[in-house]
Amino acid sequence: MKTRSDREQRVLRVNLSDGKVSMERLPEEWTHIYLGSRGVNARLLYDEVKRGTDPYGPDNILYFGTGPMDGMPVGMGRLSIACKSPRGTVAEGSAGGFFGPELRRAGYDYVAISGKAEKPVYLFIQDEQVEIRDAGHLWGLTTYETDVALRGEIPDPDTQLRYIGPAAENLVHAAVIMGNLNSCGGRAGCGEVMGSKNLKAIAVRGYGGIKPFDYDSFVEAYKVFRQRVDIRTSRDMWSPVWTTYGAPVLSRLFTDIGNLMTCNASVMSWDYEKATEISCERFLDNYAYKSKSCYCCPLPSCQKLYSIPSGKYRGFKGGNYWAGQPITFGSIIDNGRLDLLLVLSGLCNQYGLDVFHVGFTLSWAMECFEKGLLSKGDTDGMELRFGAFDEDAMVELMGKIARKEGFGELLALGCTEASKIIGKGSEKYCLSVKGQELEAIAERNLLMVALGVAVSEVGPDHTRWYPPYPCNPNLISKEELLDLGVDLDLRLAFDTRNPEQKGKLLRWFTISRAIVESLPSCVFLVRDTLGLDMRPWWYLFRAATGVDMDYGEFVMAGERLMNLDRLFNVREGFARKDDRVPYRMSHEDVPNFGYKKVDDALLNGMLDEYYAANGWDLNTTVPTRKKLAELGLEDIVDDLEVNGIEVG
Amino acid sequence: MKRLHLRYVAVAYPITGKLNEDYETSVTTLRELIKELDERYGGFLEMFINHETGKLNFNTMIYYGEQGKVPVAVLDIEQPVSDGARITFW
Repeated sequence: MKTRSDREQRVLRVNLSDGKVSMERLPEEWTHIYLGSRGVNARLLYDEVKRGTDPYGPDNILYFGTGPMDGMPVGMGRLSIACKSPRGTVAEGSAGGFFGPELRRAGYDYVAISGKAEKPVYLFIQDEQVEIRDAGHLWGLTTYETDVALRGEIPDPDTQLRYIGPAAENLVHAAVIMGNLNSCGGRAGCGEVMGSKNLKAIAVRGYGGIKPFDYDSFVEAYKVFRQRVDIRTSRDMWSPVWTTYGAPVLSRLFTDIGNLMTCNASVMSWDYEKATEISCERFLDNYAYKSKSCYCCPLPSCQKLYSIPSGKYRGFKGGNYWAGQPITFGSIIDNGRLDLLLVLSGLCNQYGLDVFHVGFTLSWAMECFEKGLLSKGDTDGMELRFGAFDEDAMVELMGKIARKEGFGELLALGCTEASKIIGKGSEKYCLSVKGQELEAIAERNLLMVALGVAVSEVGPDHTRWYPPYPCNPNLISKEELLDLGVDLDLRLAFDTRNPEQKGKLLRWFTISRAIVESLPSCVFLVRDTLGLDMRPWWYLFRAATGVDMDYGEFVMAGERLMNLDRLFNVREGFARKDDRVPYRMSHEDVPNFGYKKVDDALLNGMLDEYYAANGWDLNTTVPTRKKLAELGLEDIVDDLEVNGIEVG
Repeated sequence: MKRLHLRYVAVAYPITGKLNEDYETSVTTLRELIKELDERYGGFLEMFINHETGKLNFNTMIYYGEQGKVPVAVLDIEQPVSDGARITFW
């Protein structure tokens, strides 16, 4: 049994077309330059998936990336999944669970899957033993059924699994990759790409060990880190509530402050009784029966397993009632029944559907139905109205979306593509950016969110930046900010409706999240200094890897990653014109709350500030030659120019 | 007397055992209100006010909204309390 404490990162390469398997060692300096996980995935993706690659073709590569800190006993169990999205952008999503540490124990940091299998297969990894196995018997099974089936044929119960459900097999828009039953990752198209490769699952077991490079320094760094996440000592206002309730905590508050997308975000406040019915308090009182965490997480309770105790869904079990579902299966479709919400959400996990895709596409369809743009002839006879839909038909619809049957075939496209088919102005009600549906955070009252949604390279994804609420700029002092090299007036930056400083703030938030996801760790840890002080992570990283880098270099690694994502997109033809907010957000004020629309003038001012702060061309959004040199990415200039992209 | 609408979210809920209540009081500031609520709900004061600094704890949050206005996050514990205010503790 080997124990790893090295800086070297290794890629297991698997070509499903010819069955070839190989192992490659990445240059040791990559740990310094790209850290790991999401950072390394971004560089590999840029280098290896060329412009114009067919996302469903054999040349697209699906990366599962851990990183140099994965497996350390401080909540370092994340996994970055990346590829080219079927929407043409970079696709990347972080997943929790236990797969990442297990992959490292097996001796690999990344799995890069290219090619396309002729028939369904799954990948089995156990230390040096790597096999491509037949998965014909698994194809068509739900994620839960797949988990049970694989555990029945792989003897070691500690084997970790990642798998897709019927949705990804059928190339349903935004289908995700699941693991540990309810842990999903790879939104933005990674599940679809896995399905296109006929890859049903990856099973991994490793018998090696992982330890920090410098144990004593690591313990000292952990003490600092621990104090900042501990419920008793943390200044992170999310820490106590997440420790107790998990994520879906805010529906009652959000409806008060105009932050709860309701009826396809045509209004931003919901009936308070309904918001109470689906609240975290009701959930914990009546449905949750067990807490669950990812690998060694110091917040032991942000996931919950649930069971429905009575009524027509009695006995239905699922997991993870997150911040998104109160919106996607609650207020956005005007459903105030928590049991139904949990069933719809649980079925998404079983079919491997993305809850944001399904919820926001349903709400788009409901608004189209109410406005006469869809009829019962389109919906398989279903009355599709906000708060007044056929419940049984709605439950059945989840499976129809996953299998692309009947009305489900239209919804399976996502609202962007579906609205192109329906036409008649229906695209105005589609809440998506770059082809991907929104998430749970509102835009018109939090201007940084509007900007973040617009510029995100993967489409809307709140994990790419720190949500700017609740706003407490006192969490970090001006002196600390100066020490950290952060040039921000926090009171102005956190003024939610003032567009000034939003570009600069978003830049820092994006860099900090890029760092965390490259270690990799969870972006929901250590939010006490608003994501602006990354020193706890820096201490841990240096002790864990032995990489000697100063704080400025550490921050620059995050900036480098942020630029790599942008570079991938601009090479594919994306530009400023694609950094938009949905039509509703740019054309309609929020009723009752005084929040104005984020019109072009407002958005353009914030975009200019953001691009300028990043050193990007204001029109093309291509990083300047100077910026690329500063980041050590000069080698990419030639590639951009070969692809006809001017670098200023 | 003032009539307030109080809402207890997440970690405040187990202390009060209730999600909402209409509450009559003569207090003038949020600090006084929290102190008064602590007499009913033991631990309330400790949860929201740091005993060393006397300021709001960083790891909790209070939203304050007057009638007809959108609630906003409170940064100052001396926030005046008006009749009809809706206050969310979490």
